[in-house]
Amino acid sequence: MTAFTRRAAGLALVAGLVLGASFGFVDRASAQSPMSSAEITKQLSEVTQFDPSLTAQVLQGMAQRAVAANQPLPLDQSEIAKRLAKLAQIDVQIQFALNSAVIRPQSYAALGSIADAMHHPILWNYRFLIVGNTDTTGTRAVNLALSQKRAEAIKEALVNLGKIDPARLDAVGLGQEALEVPSKPTDPINRRVEIFTIGTMSAMPKPLQ
Amino acid sequence: MKRHIFGLAVLALAASAGGASAQTMSFADAGALIAAQCGASIERFCARDDVGTGKVASCLQQNQKDVPQQCFAALQQAEAGTTARLAAQQATFGLCQDDARQFCKGVKPGDANLLDCLLASYKVVKGACRQGLTDAGWAN
Repeated sequence: MTAFTRRAAGLALVAGLVLGASFGFVDRASAQSPMSSAEITKQLSEVTQFDPSLTAQVLQGMAQRAVAANQPLPLDQSEIAKRLAKLAQIDVQIQFALNSAVIRPQSYAALGSIADAMHHPILWNYRFLIVGNTDTTGTRAVNLALSQKRAEAIKEALVNLGKIDPARLDAVGLGQEALEVPSKPTDPINRRVEIFTIGTMSAMPKPLQ
Repeated sequence: MKRHIFGLAVLALAASAGGASAQTMSFADAGALIAAQCGASIERFCARDDVGTGKVASCLQQNQKDVPQQCFAALQQAEAGTTARLAAQQATFGLCQDDARQFCKGVKPGDANLLDCLLASYKVVKGACRQGLTDAGWAN
């Protein structure tokens, strides 16, 4: 657990020039290949702090209220983004079918890398939050619902195929409510899945005698 | 004679452990294998099924006559390989207990400190521990 790095790698887009409520990811550093499990492990273990009050329910509630009231998310781009930015995190590259939560086969290996990372001893005792985000193309309500389904689909695949304990994973969709680049709301760079290390499962074990 | 039988049993165990090691597979490799062997069939027949629900696997079964045999072989290989990988991960620290006591005294467990120590001692740890680290996918 060393220095805090904010998002050393964002990864590549995907769902392409898709209409509306899709999210994929665009790589800011223009790296093309998916992250290896070793890279994922490294980044997710760079924990400097947790934010115990920042739960999936809290985030989901904020996003839902903002969409229902058709108001900007009050803490958007400031509070939420700032708080999330302090956690160990990765952006992952997952391709979904158009306007659907179906994960496409070309992303099975990327999902597997995430599972491998979470099975590594350095992450054994940690819990994670999977967050889905869209850009502002399409309607807010549809974006919110689809991003939630996609975040849940990733959790489901990690649990059922990757054999990750479901107690270690939370999933939330924030739709277009937590833009990566608020000044360019329709930029696909905003479509992304992020995984945050949010806390520990139990106290760390005692040293060997 | 007894000792001889015991020796054989140990050999058999070692052989089976060696066999298992050839078969442990990372989830990333399993995913890539399934995508390569089943991807086209999945996109063709099961495009609306969420993979995490298990529906893709049953969909492939339902379309068995049109899905290449290699796909089913890949699914089996992936399942067996990842199951063996997880079993190895569970077993490794047990297999490495003696080595940990010898080489890693005072190391604070958690955050993979013990694993780091064992890997740093990789050249000197005993056969079973070393094999376990390899089967678990943690040695390089």
